[in-house]
Amino acid sequence: MTDIVQPIAVAPTRKPPALWTSIRRNPTIFIGGLILAILTAMAIVAPLITGDPLRMTPAQRLRPPSEAWWFGTDQYGRDIYARTIYGARVSLTVGISVALVASVIGLAIGLICGYFRRVDAIVMRIMDGIMAIPSILLAIALITLTRPGLGIVLVAIVIPEVPRIVRLVRSVVLSIREQPYIESAIAGGTRGFKLLTKHILPNTMAPLIVQATYVCASAMLVEASLSFLGAGVPPEIPSWGNIISQGRSFFQIAPWSILLPGAFLTVTILAVNLLGDGLRDRLDPRLSRRM
Amino acid sequence: MSILQVKDLKTQFFTQDGIVRAVDGVSFNVDVGETLAVVGESGCGKSVTALSILRLIQKETGRIVDGSIKFNGRELTTLSEEEMRAIRGHEISMIFQEPMTSLNPVLTIGTQIAENVVRHKGVSWQKARDRACEMLELVRIADPIRRLDEYPHQMSGGMRQRVMIAIALSCDPKVLIADEPTTALDVTIQAQILDLMIELKEKIHAAIVMITHDLGVVAETAQRVVVMYAGRKVEEASVEDLFENPMHPYTRGLMKAIPRLDMDAEAADKRIRLQEIEGMVPALIDPIPGCAFAPRCPFATERCRTQLPPFVESTAGHIAACWEVERVRELAA
Repeated sequence: MTDIVQPIAVAPTRKPPALWTSIRRNPTIFIGGLILAILTAMAIVAPLITGDPLRMTPAQRLRPPSEAWWFGTDQYGRDIYARTIYGARVSLTVGISVALVASVIGLAIGLICGYFRRVDAIVMRIMDGIMAIPSILLAIALITLTRPGLGIVLVAIVIPEVPRIVRLVRSVVLSIREQPYIESAIAGGTRGFKLLTKHILPNTMAPLIVQATYVCASAMLVEASLSFLGAGVPPEIPSWGNIISQGRSFFQIAPWSILLPGAFLTVTILAVNLLGDGLRDRLDPRLSRRM
Repeated sequence: MSILQVKDLKTQFFTQDGIVRAVDGVSFNVDVGETLAVVGESGCGKSVTALSILRLIQKETGRIVDGSIKFNGRELTTLSEEEMRAIRGHEISMIFQEPMTSLNPVLTIGTQIAENVVRHKGVSWQKARDRACEMLELVRIADPIRRLDEYPHQMSGGMRQRVMIAIALSCDPKVLIADEPTTALDVTIQAQILDLMIELKEKIHAAIVMITHDLGVVAETAQRVVVMYAGRKVEEASVEDLFENPMHPYTRGLMKAIPRLDMDAEAADKRIRLQEIEGMVPALIDPIPGCAFAPRCPFATERCRTQLPPFVESTAGHIAACWEVERVRELAA
């Protein structure tokens, strides 16, 4: 009997599209990013997709969600859907700007502290001092001293977030500066400032980006808490915090006025955290090699 | 003509336990285009000597307390930090032991080479990049243009050490200090890297100070050898003289500790054990009045322990610091 070697038909392997592979490898980055992108888009085009968030229709007070009022109305007959979408503007602005500003300030202070040991001793004690004060308390104190507004809310949230970034950046700088490649750069004649900006700074980026997403989520929560307590953005600007705060008294008869903005807040925070977790896995070289 | 003269160099570290005399009066000259090997076991001050030449000893922990380092007629110990920076990586450059961690993981290979060129030659980035490409070709990295935009983790240890050599040689240094450049590499790659260094050295007329604990590396690369022990120079000779006729008991001990394939040829019936040098390197905290090797030396006398031995010259250029040179020689004969 002769063996006949059958040629094995090889199915042409189809290469999956690049987008699909990157989604499959980093589902958390994709889902988090997608939710945030949709929310941001909605916040930007809010005037096109909703009505006026401040218009009161007293005849239509505390209406449950329906075709006319998607998320129902509040005690003044304002459209909660419109208010929630406009509220996204405040939350996203606060989250993103606090993350950016706190990262930039924290990065600068952290680099200096990690690199110049003399400055470190003094500045880190100040940072410890700021960290010891509960952030909401500090924010309330700052806001009561000034006129309420989005600007002061931003400042009040940035200040307690800065030390967290500083500590992170400083610890990274402390470990990087002992690395042989830093010694090697010095042996090549690199001067101090260049060493810091060109050789050490890029190494802090991955952990900083991850930390910034957590700061972003935390800032949104703090803003909502402050608005809920009446110490946040002024009541004429709808934000998720003050929508929930105003709906609180009517919770039993109109639970939608709290639940829907609350759900938006939860989903947004979740999305930011998913993005942060995904980025952490992606940017950590030891973890990313596994994928 | 010597390009680098180290004279009576003393580098000390100030620790809680006391002053560590890491380098305790070392002198040597490096001639133009020559390869000088500095050998000794771990902790004998080889690396500290190298770091002292480039003034890279961290101020907080230690400093050069005495001696002179003359490079091309300029005294390095008194130069300002600014002047020193212009020399580092330009006229004297250094290759470190660990190729895996000596390159910055977040910068591309091209950036790291070009940066050195821009800094010292003041050329444009484009020119520096061309130079980087040329250097990668010189150290025989295939496909240099593509490699320029790669990161260190995309390369093997041997390739990274080639990149380190490319960086070190990118500004045509006069002296290249190589601190155990092949220790972290496997043996086949070691030979390639050493051959490459020697070949490139000739091409750019640099002198090499090869710091190593491996006598095999010394034999392969160097013209002259300085043997160090406990922060001091104990013997200096040409490579041939040193291997043929080691004068200092420590050098002899080192030689006996090398495994050799022809060792059992003469004594087929009895296995010759590899010899070790008894004892440990002394702690460098307490001052050593006599010869630092005396506690481990089979020839040591009372004089060795109390008086610093002077350098004795046997043949031209072959010197050793030992009181008992005669007895050691007799035993060898």
